[in-house]
Amino acid sequence: MSSSPSADLLASASSALAVLLVLLACVELGDAAAAVGVYRLIQYDLAGAPLGSPAASLNHHAAALPLPAGADLSRSALVAPLLDLPLAFLREYLAEKKHLGGLLILLPKKLNDEDASANSEGKGQVKSSLAELEKLLLHEEVPYPVYFAFQDDHFDNLLSDIRKIASSGQPASATTGGYKLVVSTPEPRKVPSPTISNIQGWLPGLKGEGDTEQLPTIAIVANYDTFGAAPALSVGSDSNGSGAVALLEIARLFSRLYSSPKTRGKYNLLFGLTSGGPYNYNGTNKWLRGFDQRVRETIDYAICLNSVGSWDNELWMHVSKPPENPYIKQIFEDFSDVSKEMGVSVGIKHKKINVSNPRVAWEHEQFSRFRVTALTLSELSSPPEFLESTGGLYDNRESAGAESVIRTVRLVSESLARHIYGLKGRNIDVFAENSSLAINPHYIQSWLDLLSQTPRVAPFLQKNDPFIAALKKELSEHTADVHVQSDVLDGMFTFYDATKATLNVYQVASVTFDLLFLLVIGSYLIILFSFLVITTRGLDDLINIFRRPPSRKVKGA
Amino acid sequence: MTVFHFLNCAALTFGPHVVYYSATPLSEYDTIGTCVKAAVVYLGTALVKLVCLATLLKVPENDSFDPYQELMKIFIGFIDVAGLYFALTQLTHRNISQNHKFQAVGLGWAFADSVLHRLAPLWIGARGLEFTWEYIFQGLEANANLVMTLSLAALGSLMWLRKNKPRTLVPIIYACALLLATMPSITSYLRRSLEWQTPKVVGFELFSSLVMAFISWQLFSACQRPM
Repeated sequence: MSSSPSADLLASASSALAVLLVLLACVELGDAAAAVGVYRLIQYDLAGAPLGSPAASLNHHAAALPLPAGADLSRSALVAPLLDLPLAFLREYLAEKKHLGGLLILLPKKLNDEDASANSEGKGQVKSSLAELEKLLLHEEVPYPVYFAFQDDHFDNLLSDIRKIASSGQPASATTGGYKLVVSTPEPRKVPSPTISNIQGWLPGLKGEGDTEQLPTIAIVANYDTFGAAPALSVGSDSNGSGAVALLEIARLFSRLYSSPKTRGKYNLLFGLTSGGPYNYNGTNKWLRGFDQRVRETIDYAICLNSVGSWDNELWMHVSKPPENPYIKQIFEDFSDVSKEMGVSVGIKHKKINVSNPRVAWEHEQFSRFRVTALTLSELSSPPEFLESTGGLYDNRESAGAESVIRTVRLVSESLARHIYGLKGRNIDVFAENSSLAINPHYIQSWLDLLSQTPRVAPFLQKNDPFIAALKKELSEHTADVHVQSDVLDGMFTFYDATKATLNVYQVASVTFDLLFLLVIGSYLIILFSFLVITTRGLDDLINIFRRPPSRKVKGA
Repeated sequence: MTVFHFLNCAALTFGPHVVYYSATPLSEYDTIGTCVKAAVVYLGTALVKLVCLATLLKVPENDSFDPYQELMKIFIGFIDVAGLYFALTQLTHRNISQNHKFQAVGLGWAFADSVLHRLAPLWIGARGLEFTWEYIFQGLEANANLVMTLSLAALGSLMWLRKNKPRTLVPIIYACALLLATMPSITSYLRRSLEWQTPKVVGFELFSSLVMAFISWQLFSACQRPM
């Protein structure tokens, strides 16, 4: 039986053949599965109407633009870099209620990539297309899952691979291999009773001897929460992180002045970091409602800070009382005096409030509804639309500059100090540079950095969230009687969780490949079998196997 | 389609063993008992090897090639040879010819090795969505391993069972057996120290198994000749 080692040889020969075949079929080695963090489009109900995307789980083949003619996308997930995604295409899909397996929008790398900042034109384009996209997606019901991810090399490779497959003429389906995008998350659930937390702190003024009257109060208010298409990316550095940072710095400056009885003014200062800003300043309303009527009446006026992080030399003071009103006139004069010294201009815009209209465009309008004189300082010259300029996708650290915040702080605190200490008309820099009362740029920088890393969509910030605790702690460093007021967001909104997910990208083999592979293995095994039978038992045996059923053969043996 | 891929890979990994058994006279002489016994011996050997590896080797901090550790591994690898020796000489097989004996032992040995080392990764990995070539290469490796185990068993039967062999061939037989026994260490060296990619390593394994099978065959038939 010397022939069985030769069978080994033949087995090796056939295995070598199999290697050859497999190597022919294999062009390049596949990548391993990759997991990428992705951010889901917001899902919310507004007065019962579902908006955003109610779908979360995704399990489809990836497709890329440009699409082959007549491609059916209802079973594929479209992967599109932001700048390549035509909005008309999306609008068409939404208008005609065409179904898409899913949509993965690739945001430019970190949004503040060197490339983008290098050419401001590209940056502007990114900003405008992001704003437009956000507006489109926020106010529509999108029936398929929409995710945002940051573009990286991995996605670049994926896109070029998909295009390569598509250019070979076959439609994206299970028969061409390609990539499969899988997000497996549980069904999004309602956020139970979304809370809004308002944080307030007082700097009590100095009462004169035998002064029984309540001291007047000046309130400085900024809302800190955000709203955007992707709640987990909604950091709102400019709207309204910049306002919150300016408020903290003003609180810090005045706490130094108020720490000594000599320089303590005859005004109470009230600092309020309010939540619920994007929802018609619902939090501000709750906050004001929470005050005692008498306390509310002591508020002389309130300065609301909104989007003060990217202005150059023009800031707007929005009021709802006519500018001829003596109070308003006096405050405006205070501001314009300081602004002239600083070489910037402050304009005044008057917008009457309509109490029957539920839309509250500016935070000061909530004060006006309580008959408290108030104004909003903002770089925006016109009132934003509902859910606009609330810290969307493009509103990141890049869009807010510390310089603008510093200018705002100088303008507000300088004019406040002149008002409080009665220094009107005298050219005195209370917060002069290099003095102990100088504005601290590092403080502003670091708080802007922190806010730019913290998504702050109110329903997803629990009242014991570390961020709220940090704000409370910071405010209590500078002010007294710090208090967090938690309330439930008014019922018009319902939010759903699952703002973040993990996307798994799998490279899948096509069915044709599997069939081919089966064919190769089958023929390999058959050849192996035949060779082994021929070499060990002879050709006749092989023929006999096919001629007679094996059961009879065994019997015969 | 992932189950499809899994079945394909399983066929590539375990098919040749089955085909070998059913196509050669092994099935006619009902040598399955010997195969099973060899597989049991393999399991025992694997256990002993594991204990030795656990007691004698350090856990490598990095993936580098440490000569001392590798030497230890080679010595531990020789436990395999001892196991094969046990299976070939000590197990009593009812009237089975030497030719069939080494084939049955080698087949049982290789099959047990494949099941132990490749079935679980295959079951877990090949059914995943992601397509990789890994399991195809693993199947090819199983093929090479089968051929190599059979060659080693053939040489082992020459060494320990055949009394009258040409004296000149004895050193060659021993050298070849030694080479075959160190083959796992050689591939590990190629993989880790020379950083060969898997396709290259598998290609090398297939090629070397082919060469070793040819040499073993020649040696076997040389000894077979009447002196």
